[in-house]
Amino acid sequence: MNEELDSQLSAMFDDELAPEQCELLARRLSRDEQLKARWGRYAVIGAAIRSERGVRLNAPLAGRVSAVLLAEPALVTTPGARPTAVRWWQPLAGAAVAAGVAVGCVLWLRAQNPLAGAPLSAHLTAATVSVPSAPVVPAAAAGAAESYVVPRTPAVRAMVPSTELANYVVAHSVFSSPVARRNLLSAFMTSESGTAAEEPPDEPAVHAQ
Amino acid sequence: MPSSERLVALTLAWAVAGAALAQETPPARAPAHKTSLDQAPAHKTSLESAPAHWLERMNQALTTRNYDGTFSHWHGGRVEMLRIIHRVQDGTVSERLASLDGSGREFIRAGASLTCYLPDKRTVLVEQRPPEESLVGFPAVNDQSASFYDIREGTRTRLNRRDTHVITVSPKDEYRYGYRLWIDDSTAMPLKTQLCDRRGHVIEQIVFASLTLPAHIPDSAFRPEVSTAGFQWLRNESAPPAPTAATLAWNAMRLPPGFRMTARSAQTLPGSADPVDHLVFTDGLASVSVFVEPQRREHADQPAVPESAAVGSSSAFSTVIDGHKITAVGEVPPDTVRFIASQLKAEELPAVSSRRH
Repeated sequence: MNEELDSQLSAMFDDELAPEQCELLARRLSRDEQLKARWGRYAVIGAAIRSERGVRLNAPLAGRVSAVLLAEPALVTTPGARPTAVRWWQPLAGAAVAAGVAVGCVLWLRAQNPLAGAPLSAHLTAATVSVPSAPVVPAAAAGAAESYVVPRTPAVRAMVPSTELANYVVAHSVFSSPVARRNLLSAFMTSESGTAAEEPPDEPAVHAQ
Repeated sequence: MPSSERLVALTLAWAVAGAALAQETPPARAPAHKTSLDQAPAHKTSLESAPAHWLERMNQALTTRNYDGTFSHWHGGRVEMLRIIHRVQDGTVSERLASLDGSGREFIRAGASLTCYLPDKRTVLVEQRPPEESLVGFPAVNDQSASFYDIREGTRTRLNRRDTHVITVSPKDEYRYGYRLWIDDSTAMPLKTQLCDRRGHVIEQIVFASLTLPAHIPDSAFRPEVSTAGFQWLRNESAPPAPTAATLAWNAMRLPPGFRMTARSAQTLPGSADPVDHLVFTDGLASVSVFVEPQRREHADQPAVPESAAVGSSSAFSTVIDGHKITAVGEVPPDTVRFIASQLKAEELPAVSSRRH
C-alpha cells in the first residue's frame, strides 16, 4: 500500500478526509479485497483491545498493541499479507490475523464451538472471526485468558436459499421481533454474496506477524 | 485527534466506508425532509434505567418511526452493506431492505404485501399477509422473557458520537440466543446489535453507518432498483383454504422451556397451490415458525431425510411426520428448531382456518 493511500486511510479514520475523497476511497474499499481484509484486521485488533466478550486478548499484549496503535501517526502497513484460496462455504478468518501490527505481536487464535456436542453440529463450519465496531473499552483486567477466542459460526449449511426456504423466511419474518427480523432478512439478502476472506486456520490457529 | 478517538475511528472503519457508500444512492431516494439523529427529540422517562423498558422503547422505535439507514451486516466472516428504509404513514408500514454489495436482492413491504426480489433466481416472491398482521405479530418482552433471559444494562457508552445504553440479553439455556444492543439515548434506535450464543460469543452483528429519521419519505424510496424483465413472479393470491368439517390440528407435544404457541394460520405460499399450516412459537423474544404441508406424492415413496439449513444465524430444520413435511424456521440455535419440529403431532379436531392464541 502506498503512502498516499495510507495517508488517506488515516485521514478517513480521523474523519478528516474530504467527502469526495472519502467516497472515492469507499468505492475502492468496496472492490479491493486486500483493503477490505485490512479493515477487518484492524477491527479485530480493536475488538481484542476492547476485550469484547468472545474476543479476548491478554492484557499485556493488548496494551502493547494499543500502545503501537496510539503511537503511530498513521496506520502501520504490512505488505505481503496475501489471502489464501477460499472455499465458498468457508467463512472469513484471515481477517482475524493481526498482521497489520508490525510489532511482532502474536495473536493466538483458538476456535471454540459454542454448540459442541449438539447433534446438528456435525456440519459446523470452521472458525470465524468477529468484526465488531464499537467504542473503546479498557483492556481486560489481569487474569484474562491468554488467548484470543474466536467463536464458530453455527451455520449448518451455507445452502443457497431455495424459493421454498425464501417463502418460509418471509412468512416467518412477520412474527419475529424487530431486531431478529432485521437480522433474518439481512442474512437472507446477503446469503449468497459478501466479502469472503481467508481460509480459517486449523485449531489451534496461530498467526504471527 | 485524541488518541482514544483514534481507536474508535479505527474500529468504525466500516461505518465510515458505509456512510460514503450510502452517498452513492440516487438523490431521488433521499428524503425530502431529513431529521438527523442529532435533531431527533429526546424521550426521557422515569423508567429509562430499566433494561426491559429500553427493549420496549427500541421495538417501538423500530416499528413506528420513519428511518433511513445504511448498515453493515456481519455473519460468518462475511461483511455486507445494506440499506433499510422504514416508513409508517397513515397506519401503513412500508419497508425496503436492499443489499448494496452483491446479491442485488431486495425485500419490500407495503402494508400487508411482502415482495422479495431475487435477481439470482430471476424470481420475485409476492406474499399477501392478513391485514391484521401488518403492524403487530412480533413477540413482546414480558415477565415470561425475564424467566429465560438475563436482561441487564451495561456501561453507557458512545457510539458514532451518540450516547447509547448498552443492553445485554443473555439466554439462561442453550435453546435461544442473546443480544447486546447499543440503543441510542435520544431516539431508542439500536445503532449496533450483536447476536450472541449462550457463552456470549458474537455470531452476528449489525452496525449502522448512517441513520436518519426523516419526517417524510417519498413513495419512490420503496421502488426496487432491480429490473424484473423476464423474471418469474410467484404470488399467493389465492385465498386461504376454507374451513372444513374436520381437519388435522398440529400441535407440539413438547416445547423448549418458555416457548408457547402464539399464532396459527392456514395459508398458501407464493408459487404453491397447497395449503400450509403456519404455527408460531415464541418465548417472548425469540420466535419459531413451523410450516406443515402434505408431503408431495412424488416424494411419498422416498425415505424421510431430515434436513438442516441456516440463514445467517437463524436456523431451519425440515422433517416428515405422518406424511406431512414439517419445516421449522427461527432465530434460534439449530437444536431448538429441530426440537420443535420433531415434536409436532397431528390431532383431528374441528377446523378453524385461522386463529390466534
